[in-house]
Amino acid sequence: MSFPVRKSVFVGIAGMSLIGTVAGCAPSAQAPAAQSAPSSSAPAAGTSSSAASGYKDGTYSADGNYVSPNGTETVGVELTLSGGTVSGVNITQHPSNPNTRKFQGEFAGGIAAQIVGKNLDELNVSKVAGSSLTSGGFNQAVEKIKSEAQ
Amino acid sequence: MPHPGWAAFSFDGIGTSWEISTPVTLDGSQRRRLLDVVEKYDAAWSRFRADSTVARAAREPGRFRMPDGAGALGRLYRSLYRLTEGAMTPLIGGSLEQLGYGPDYSLRPRGTPVPAPRWDDVLDWDDAVLTTTAPVVLDVGAAGKGQLADLLAAELRSQGAGEHFIDASGDLLNSGPVPVTVALEHPYDPGRAIGTMSLGAGALCASAANRRAWGDGLHHVLDGTTGSPVRTVVATWALAEDAMTADALATALFFVSGKALQQDFGFSWLTVFSDGSAAYSAGFEGVLFE
Repeated sequence: MSFPVRKSVFVGIAGMSLIGTVAGCAPSAQAPAAQSAPSSSAPAAGTSSSAASGYKDGTYSADGNYVSPNGTETVGVELTLSGGTVSGVNITQHPSNPNTRKFQGEFAGGIAAQIVGKNLDELNVSKVAGSSLTSGGFNQAVEKIKSEAQ
Repeated sequence: MPHPGWAAFSFDGIGTSWEISTPVTLDGSQRRRLLDVVEKYDAAWSRFRADSTVARAAREPGRFRMPDGAGALGRLYRSLYRLTEGAMTPLIGGSLEQLGYGPDYSLRPRGTPVPAPRWDDVLDWDDAVLTTTAPVVLDVGAAGKGQLADLLAAELRSQGAGEHFIDASGDLLNSGPVPVTVALEHPYDPGRAIGTMSLGAGALCASAANRRAWGDGLHHVLDGTTGSPVRTVVATWALAEDAMTADALATALFFVSGKALQQDFGFSWLTVFSDGSAAYSAGFEGVLFE
């Protein structure tokens, strides 16, 4: 099975600085992919850190543990920042994850090792099936909490 | 717009944004009747307004007559309650409120998660009549948006607008016959998609833990047996003939495998797990980007 995963993730990583914080537990098949070339959709290489956000460009990785109904689960998340905005998000796969094994084990149909993202503006679609658009009180409340958190 | 030259009618309803697209612009009378359908549904089912039937049921037990269509909704929920062993339940409203997702939108948990009451302990759902033995906070959010899309489609058909496309903030209903290419939103990045597919006549509904999410891992898809958010699944899509079924199954996929649900429902499905892996039925073959 191939892991065609990283080509979409490491867009605009010219300033990559924090890669590898999860290298110790990342699958070996994936770790070297960090050196893969940026895709053609990459924002301008060399974008410097954004003064507005205060975050440096680069790929940031972190692991999280939580107890799910099926036991402790570890999830790694990688964010790629370019010019102060998130240009890529992906999830690090952990082969030791008990849920991964369970779900893959019980299912005999199609399986993708990793979802791969493409920018919506590169796609010739007029409609998106998802749940990003909510409105009304919920979003207002979230904004209020954010402002109070500052 | 799903097709060039079509006209859109956009409005807010049941807490989300809607866009109905038709080949010909809907006139004022048609729009009013569509909004009446929305209002009637909201007045019965919204737990976010004090004058709804559901709000009355939250204050005191009793016998509540719901609008037409409630029978089909109840049967669907009952079936999924059984298949998910109580995890997916219309009685989840109290658990949501406990975690802060109530009419006041505090989004601050009151305390530790509270499981939903057991269906047979408090609720008899007989066609369009609900009889409760205790105050209960009903939340049909897992299927309600889809059902409202179906009701709007029926209203459009009755108006002679049989060809239409309904976008209920990412839950999509295409009357056909012309297919529409749609993208599947990345569960962690709404600016991206994880695949595209052609939606012919039918409904494609999504559920995701990335939206209607608030602090400390709290989001709106709760397990009724624990009252806690589901962790192992982050996004699902269900493709079915009608939007109510697709909407409900998209939520059910958070609790049980699509393969198990296929034994009772003819539908196609895609589930993305928290580790980024995905599983899907034949209907989603070749949809995901590689």
